[in-house]
Amino acid sequence: MRPTIKNKLVGGFSAVLFLMGVVAVIGAYSVLSLRASALETARVGDRLNSISLEIQVHNLEAQRKIGSYLTEFKQLGAEKARETYLDEAEFEISEIESLAAKGVHLAPTAEKRATFQVISDAAAKYSDTLDAAVQAVEKNGQVKEESTAVTAYEAAAQQLSESAEDGEMAGRDASQTSQDNIERVSKRSVPLVIGVSLLGLVIALTMSYILSRAILLPVEHLKEVAENVSMGNLKMSVRRFSEDEIGDLADSFGRMVTAVRFFQSEAEAAQAVPATEGSGR
Amino acid sequence: MSELSDRILALSKPYLGPAAESFLARQCKGHLSIEMTALTSAHLKDLAAWVERSGGLIMDAPKAAELGKKIAAM
Repeated sequence: MRPTIKNKLVGGFSAVLFLMGVVAVIGAYSVLSLRASALETARVGDRLNSISLEIQVHNLEAQRKIGSYLTEFKQLGAEKARETYLDEAEFEISEIESLAAKGVHLAPTAEKRATFQVISDAAAKYSDTLDAAVQAVEKNGQVKEESTAVTAYEAAAQQLSESAEDGEMAGRDASQTSQDNIERVSKRSVPLVIGVSLLGLVIALTMSYILSRAILLPVEHLKEVAENVSMGNLKMSVRRFSEDEIGDLADSFGRMVTAVRFFQSEAEAAQAVPATEGSGR
Repeated sequence: MSELSDRILALSKPYLGPAAESFLARQCKGHLSIEMTALTSAHLKDLAAWVERSGGLIMDAPKAAELGKKIAAM
């Protein structure tokens, strides 16, 4: 392709546009990454917090129902007490188990997954100790066995509550981890965007300088030659700087100056030797 | 104008512009002692030498040499 001014300008500005596009893509990518990290913060951290709180609420509700079952068992009878309190308590426990499983699935790191696994294990133990306590109570009469089973159940309930508190902490930690991710991404993207922008600026300035020199240098030379010729100095030599439109212009101008030189020499020869032919030029 | 002189004129125009015809006529008449229309291929070598020499006075020497070579090669 011929390096015409049009091609040079189109190439130069295309390169600058391309660089600006690269900067825009990197900027957009960084912003979208930050946005995704922010959404992840809200989603994972908040969800883990909310799961832990829901577990606490279900645990309290289950304990309340089971407490009522234990105190009113003798008054209501086994069947009625089970229907009134125990079925609902078992529903609460199944909710706790389901929420703990969700927590394990959602947790972003192995450490957080382990924390929610502890909740899940504590919920399973809670369920087992509850079954044992209910069986001991319903046997009716073995006070020591009943007391041991109820104590074990209360310890499991306490352990579940503590595990759920750890889950809340894990949720907050997850939020913090995501915020750290955002900071890391932003720290990484800011110098990248600035670097690429500066590189684009340097390249754009260099290209502008090269383009302006490619256009201005031959134009200034032609201007100097034209000024000299217009003042009668035909000894100036016209240089062709480039293979573009200005190079063509320099050729045309050089041809014109050559013709003027020839006609001038003809006129001078005719004046010097009016009677004879010129010197041969 | 003969066909040969037309071809030489066409070859010289990009170098000499509107002065091409007068310049060539001057070389033919002054140095070869013939009219431009009487040019034959036998005159080309001498004409090329005079074009290079005289042309060097009114244009850049390399350009005049280039034109001379082109004429000699016709």
